[in-house]
Amino acid sequence: MILSGWEAVFFWVFSIAAIFAGLLTVMARNTIHSALFLISSLVSVAALFILLQAEFIAGVQILVYVGGVMVLFLFVIMLVNVGEEERGREEIFNRSRQVTTSVIFCGLLAAGLLYAINVGYEGFLKRDEAKIQAAGSERRAREQHLATSATGSSRITTDAERMGGSLYRYASLPFEIASVLLLVAIIGSVMLARTLKQEAAVDDVAPDVLQKEAAHDPEVVEAHNIL
Amino acid sequence: MHLLLLKLFPSAFGLLLQEATSGRASLAWEKAQHPDLSKFLVIGALLFIIGVAGVLTRRNIIVIFMSIELILNAANLNFIAMSRYLQETGSVNAVAGQIFAVFVIVVAAAEAAIGLGIVIALYRNKETIWVDEIDILKW
Repeated sequence: MILSGWEAVFFWVFSIAAIFAGLLTVMARNTIHSALFLISSLVSVAALFILLQAEFIAGVQILVYVGGVMVLFLFVIMLVNVGEEERGREEIFNRSRQVTTSVIFCGLLAAGLLYAINVGYEGFLKRDEAKIQAAGSERRAREQHLATSATGSSRITTDAERMGGSLYRYASLPFEIASVLLLVAIIGSVMLARTLKQEAAVDDVAPDVLQKEAAHDPEVVEAHNIL
Repeated sequence: MHLLLLKLFPSAFGLLLQEATSGRASLAWEKAQHPDLSKFLVIGALLFIIGVAGVLTRRNIIVIFMSIELILNAANLNFIAMSRYLQETGSVNAVAGQIFAVFVIVVAAAEAAIGLGIVIALYRNKETIWVDEIDILKW
């Protein structure tokens, strides 16, 4: 897969945007700014997915991450008090020794990963060169009838269709398990985020805890008595 | 002595640069103009490392969660790039990477819901979101 022309420009713009927005997510003092930078990083990565002809995943990324998860994050940031952090009174990073160690570790990780990617990719190309040539001509013949995309150098694909087919054909059991996982996550987060009053209202508090709380919060007992 | 070094340095440096990059600079430019799979993997690796750095250095538990999202997203980018590469080689089950990415997104959504529920419960009981102040399990 070689990108050229406008596709290369598209790639560089969005990859640099993703990296910078990711860096700013980690560096920003204000947590809301952090969340907004994370959103722009996720959108840039979604653009890279489109470039990789995974349009469906790009759509899912924007709908689920930006539309769902990040809105949840923003609500939670507004629910907890982060005023001191914004006003610059609190240190946002760990102690300097920890930070130095982590940065050195991350640098080593970066060097190792970049080296591994370079060496591995050379090996990949050497192994698959003939296959890519053979599959390339076949693909070009198959894609002849598809409409051209906005960049002009590639075609609009039918990969979303193929992906949906494969999802139900080869991954239907994990798909069902994922739906159960989401159900468990919904119930779990509702259970975790209840207040004591709400717990008392459904008789889910130990009697001795209820007695202790009654002293400084009569509303808890009231909620329990309604039951 | 200093003057001598200053005089020698530019020419020596220029020579070294020419030696080290003979052909390589133009190759790098060529590669930058025509990015391939390895570029996507590099971007994925960089995003992953930024996420790891965020988890290790920040004190705010919500920002740590956001860094974890960044890590998962980097993994997704790798999955999709590899899936595209397999499509290029004409592999039979080339969209497996995309299916895996869908499941990663599902797990990330579930993780965010549970994690933020825990943050809310924690804030209600401890009145803090700094991870170094949440140390009940420390002996």
